[in-house]
Amino acid sequence: MLNDNNIYKPIEAKLTEVIDESSLIKTFVLVPSEGFSFKTGQFIELSVDGIGEAPFTPSSSPLITRQLEVTVMKTGYVTEYMHNLKPGGYMGIRGPFGRGYPVEKFFGKEVLILGGGCGLAPIRSLLYALEAVKDKLKKVILCYGSKTPGDCIYKPLFNRLNKIDKFEAHRTVDKPDEDWNESVGVVTSLLNKITLNIENSVAIVCGPPIMMKFGTIRLLEMGYPEHNIYLSMEKNMSCGLGKCGHCMMGEFFVCKDGPVFTYDEIKHNPEIWK
Amino acid sequence: MELTIAELKGIRFFEDYTDEQLKKFISISSLQEFKVKDILFEQYDELTDVFILLSGCLSLGISLPKEKRIHLGTLEEGQLFSWSAVFKPYISTAWVMATCPTKVLAIDSKKLNLEFEKDCGFGMKTMTKIAQTLSRRLSDTRFQLMNQLTL
Amino acid sequence: MKYYSIRKEEWDKKLEKLILSHTVFASVNNEFGQDYELLRSPDIPNILYNKPKPTTSLKSFFLPVKENVTSERDSQKPRIIMGIPNCDIEGLNLLDEIYLDKDFTDIFYGDRRNGTLLISSDCFSIQEHCHCMSYDIKPFATRTADLAIALIDSSIIFRTVTDKGEEFITNISGVDPVNDSNFIDSILSKQKETEELLIKSNKDLPEYNTTGRLINSAKEEIWNKYSSDCVSCGACTTICPTCTCFLLIDKPGFEKVKQLDACQYPGFERVAGGEDALKELSHRFRNRYMCKYSWKPKFFKSIACTGCGRCIEACIGRINKNELFKELA
Repeated sequence: MLNDNNIYKPIEAKLTEVIDESSLIKTFVLVPSEGFSFKTGQFIELSVDGIGEAPFTPSSSPLITRQLEVTVMKTGYVTEYMHNLKPGGYMGIRGPFGRGYPVEKFFGKEVLILGGGCGLAPIRSLLYALEAVKDKLKKVILCYGSKTPGDCIYKPLFNRLNKIDKFEAHRTVDKPDEDWNESVGVVTSLLNKITLNIENSVAIVCGPPIMMKFGTIRLLEMGYPEHNIYLSMEKNMSCGLGKCGHCMMGEFFVCKDGPVFTYDEIKHNPEIWK
Repeated sequence: MELTIAELKGIRFFEDYTDEQLKKFISISSLQEFKVKDILFEQYDELTDVFILLSGCLSLGISLPKEKRIHLGTLEEGQLFSWSAVFKPYISTAWVMATCPTKVLAIDSKKLNLEFEKDCGFGMKTMTKIAQTLSRRLSDTRFQLMNQLTL
Repeated sequence: MKYYSIRKEEWDKKLEKLILSHTVFASVNNEFGQDYELLRSPDIPNILYNKPKPTTSLKSFFLPVKENVTSERDSQKPRIIMGIPNCDIEGLNLLDEIYLDKDFTDIFYGDRRNGTLLISSDCFSIQEHCHCMSYDIKPFATRTADLAIALIDSSIIFRTVTDKGEEFITNISGVDPVNDSNFIDSILSKQKETEELLIKSNKDLPEYNTTGRLINSAKEEIWNKYSSDCVSCGACTTICPTCTCFLLIDKPGFEKVKQLDACQYPGFERVAGGEDALKELSHRFRNRYMCKYSWKPKFFKSIACTGCGRCIEACIGRINKNELFKELA
């Protein structure tokens, strides 16, 4: 028998706070009007009433269910509208959708996270989830690269990460400013400075397609087996339900079979780096 | 100032050499120290040493006309640089500058080449490491180029 | 599976009553050709039996071009659709797999499916581009349809396929189990004839199992050649019984309108950052073949192309997918 749960209907969530992360990026704090939870790496379809919907991976901890945070970069029509929203109004949430990060598979291992640009938003959620189970992990290393120091969001996060036992965070920028005293160069160059036991490690890559391509090539060269490289694929996700066809990447619906894939699952697909 | 075999073994570049081979390195190397803003070498300088960064911070880049320095990247501890010293015409492709107090191991490249001729296995191992460094640097440079092209 | 019969004049009288209690669609000739029409009393004598195939595919009854998917579910008059060729019936199986998926069930699709009685019509002739048999689909229903119908001499013969079909028939007075085996033999022999016609007219076409391999190995020249006449009009996807890609459009009040879309249209895979994996028309053209013959078979049990041939008939560039397959084979 069919249930009455309408898969197309969003639940309403109150926008309680808007945090300016950078000139183009804001984080929205949302309190859903109904019970809502997600696994780290899953995504939601966030809508602006009457304007449109766009897919986002929440950047908050999956353990906090009363509210969630979504980090939005202004890139198009819908996100521009979102950036003009003020606290107090309501947004729509559909989801959670997709396959997130299988955190249990990382137990007993060293976790290397390679992030770039706006990929830091889903990575932050993953870091919270990993922090909650850090007793079960050997090590967590974040290597993050952005274009300029101004693009490097969540500054308090980096300060905190290096103080947590078993965690380390390294940053690099393409173009430094005068005050930048950390590494310069692409994120893959950070891999020269970390020590890992590749045989007991998993790697997670999340960022723009170019970064994911070069990052994956470097990880393979370092000796990571293909099934231990986790990629978060981005496509034109629309319905989130594995029905509308827009997010298809070869035979996969990225919204349903992903967005998290291991490299061996998708390497045969010529479209993956587009 | 001299490094011991034990200290060399702790540096990633020297991980899988034998003690004999590490002794060879010690015999043809010296430790050098630099302070902030010291230029180790400029682009187009003729090089006589291959370096390994032991501790500190080094920036690497290229120069444009009118002495404009373009900062391309930072070198990480344990990394090899100044590889051009091993190959003709021994001319540097970049400048390297210290951005904090830095210690490097300077390996005399002429003497290194002589060691290669005496011991081909040692030569093969070392050239393979240099090739790997170059390969990664090339890959990173292409990544940088792609980033610039799609801006 | 049971056979029942009723004289045609009696059946026509039953239809007069049924159109009052149900919304009935039947296959008739109209000014454009053969198609489903809402059945009204004067059209009853003109219903086409056992003639393939209505221009519109069955999909349109279950996936409207545009619908509000956040409105209240409304209870409608039960529906009967008559004259459905088996190619459309088999296409419905794929739609069921997608829209009645247990994790994300589309309640609007579900309501329409539950509220519709499907009366399939055995094909006793074929059209130029019919090729269902190439894909192991018979020109008569064996599942999913509730009933199958045939007009033999002046009798209507029903074949019940599902319990729902059985229940419907037994509730109609005047319909009796068939006791004359001639009727059944007649139907079986006509079915066989049609099968043979199809096999003969499609003998050069590859089987469904091989289509995936052929499409995967096709070189860029093939795609460039066949897409050179394509204008991305999307007629093929609109008319196809198994193409269902859609858009979700936001309306005020957090309402959503679901509207059919097509991978043939430009911008189908474009993302906010501007990248578009299917920017080139020839890639979009290829995408549809890959989707139907290579990708969907990997995850869905139901076939993604039923060999109805409507895409060939609808294409304004006169692109014929079977010619493409013959060239690949």
